[in-house]
Amino acid sequence: MAFDVQNEVSDETLLVLYGNGDAAASRALTLRLTPRVLGYASRILNDPAEAEDVAQEAMLRLWRIAPEWRQGEAKVSTWLYRVVANLCTDRLRKRRSVDIDSIAEPEDDAPGAEAQLQAASRAKALEEALQTLPERQRQAVVLRHIEGLGNPEIAEVLEISVEAVESLTARGKRMLTAALSGRREELGYGDG
Amino acid sequence: MVMVDMHDKDQELELFFAAARDDAPVPSDDLMARVFADSVENMPSGAGIVPAPLVKDGVVTRFLKAIGGWPALAGLATATMAGVWIGYSAPAGLATVTGGVLASSDTGYDIVDLIPSMDGFLMEGGA
Repeated sequence: MAFDVQNEVSDETLLVLYGNGDAAASRALTLRLTPRVLGYASRILNDPAEAEDVAQEAMLRLWRIAPEWRQGEAKVSTWLYRVVANLCTDRLRKRRSVDIDSIAEPEDDAPGAEAQLQAASRAKALEEALQTLPERQRQAVVLRHIEGLGNPEIAEVLEISVEAVESLTARGKRMLTAALSGRREELGYGDG
Repeated sequence: MVMVDMHDKDQELELFFAAARDDAPVPSDDLMARVFADSVENMPSGAGIVPAPLVKDGVVTRFLKAIGGWPALAGLATATMAGVWIGYSAPAGLATVTGGVLASSDTGYDIVDLIPSMDGFLMEGGA
């Protein structure tokens, strides 16, 4: 796309330009950040429609903070991930209070799961396994291993210590390994 | 042995993570359009223009503005000082100028008798 050429311009610079009424900057930010925001929300919520709502809401908050953005204090992406994390937490909380049964059963126990898995990719298997993790572990693991953030940045996003991040990701990975180990053969990861 | 096993498991898990990264959800055109529409709707207009200060100008500032600022004041000061200098300095130079143009009084105003015999004629005529 035409705005790929702006990749060397930082998110913060684009946000400041947007704050000064630059429409091209808003288009570039939309193209650059919306996929990341949606990706993160999708993996935490496992619901495409809800993830889209969260992505739009998070981006809306970004547009609104632009005029007051304090440069050099936080990375735009870190701030945005934090907004998404909080929005997802709110959604999951509501989901729990409204329909607690819907998440009590992990999807891998659902009828027909085997047939579905034969055609499903590893990504799908991981997505399902992620849903079995406690929310904070899921957020930490997704940010670390899928979004590719460093531990200090994850600590900022989740507003916890770096040590807590390390603990969350370590436990999360152990749980994922356990959840996926039963499917190794189905997914082509036999003992060999 | 346990370390090696954990390393293998990490590697295996990393394959799942890599697959998930490659399988990132792509935002629909509708979502992108909605996000962009929000950005346009919430775009701050003219935020880059610094508003004029509300503090009222003092007498000196208003005078300076009326004459065109500090450069104009510098010109005005120079002209004033030149006027003062011209007014107070000794007018010695003028004597030099007039002396150059006109002959000095002791040579320039000699009485020359152009018609010396006139008195004689009058006297003779009168006698």
